[in-house]
Amino acid sequence: MNIELYIQSGIVESYALGLATVFEREEFEQLMPHYPELKTALSDFEYQLELFAIEHEIPPPAGTRERIEARIRETPVARREQGHRRGSRVQEGGAGFLNVEYSSNHIRVHKVWKTLFIVVFILSKIFLALAIWFYVEYRHARQDARRLQEQSTGVQEGNAGGR
Amino acid sequence: MPAGRQPTLEGLYNQYSGMLFSYILQFIPDQVEAGELLVDVFAWLAPELERGIDPTSSIYCWLQVEARKIVLAYLRKKGDGQPAEQGWRDGAHKTYYFSLLKDASPEHRWVFRELFIHGRDRDYVAGRSGKDPAYVSRLLQECLLLIRKNLG
Repeated sequence: MNIELYIQSGIVESYALGLATVFEREEFEQLMPHYPELKTALSDFEYQLELFAIEHEIPPPAGTRERIEARIRETPVARREQGHRRGSRVQEGGAGFLNVEYSSNHIRVHKVWKTLFIVVFILSKIFLALAIWFYVEYRHARQDARRLQEQSTGVQEGNAGGR
Repeated sequence: MPAGRQPTLEGLYNQYSGMLFSYILQFIPDQVEAGELLVDVFAWLAPELERGIDPTSSIYCWLQVEARKIVLAYLRKKGDGQPAEQGWRDGAHKTYYFSLLKDASPEHRWVFRELFIHGRDRDYVAGRSGKDPAYVSRLLQECLLLIRKNLG
């Protein structure tokens, strides 16, 4: 392959700007490890693009950072990933599957679960206290019943002895 | 990428938010709307960073390409499934990458606008202009080479 001709075809620029077709992108990525000139041309163009972007930089509106932080806090990771993949599917125009990835030992959940957990915890304590209270009451009632039974047995025996 | 070199969202925001904001403005000239899209880009970026990013490519160029995908998806949604025209205004052909195409013909600029700003594919542009897809690819190639020349 004439690599100079390939570079002159605009493939490097097309790749860096996201304008390459799927076939062109895959071909470029397969060729890059074999042709250091491609990597150099890509790095050079990316460097020029970055310099251009620095020259044209415009500060984002005030409060953008806070809005990003709020969005990240409010959106569960699972929904963010699902949303992104859904967007990707729309863009690619084809059906796809939701890939489930497991990359961390921690999970992030919506903050409503915190309130729910506290409510469930308090309710469980109330039910436990009620269960203990009812058990103690039951034992007292059983003791009373036994005592009454013994008393009535004693009365019956006394009546029988008196006759 | 080694753990020590993994960029943080804060670091990327400090370094690239202004660059990405001006990049987004060429698609969506309204500053408030473009600001919302910038929020979308960084909100998308957070889980990507947790997974780790490709160290071989320029972070800025990667962000730029991904930001464009997010912007185009937003414009398609806004335009009821069709690539939207709302992001374009009369003066936009002089801004950002179009400033590098000032020597190009109107046809070249139109092709670049359709492919880059509106995210249309080459076959669609060819069909709309009544030209061959190879002709559209050639115009795109010339635009890209002109951009490279004017960047350097």
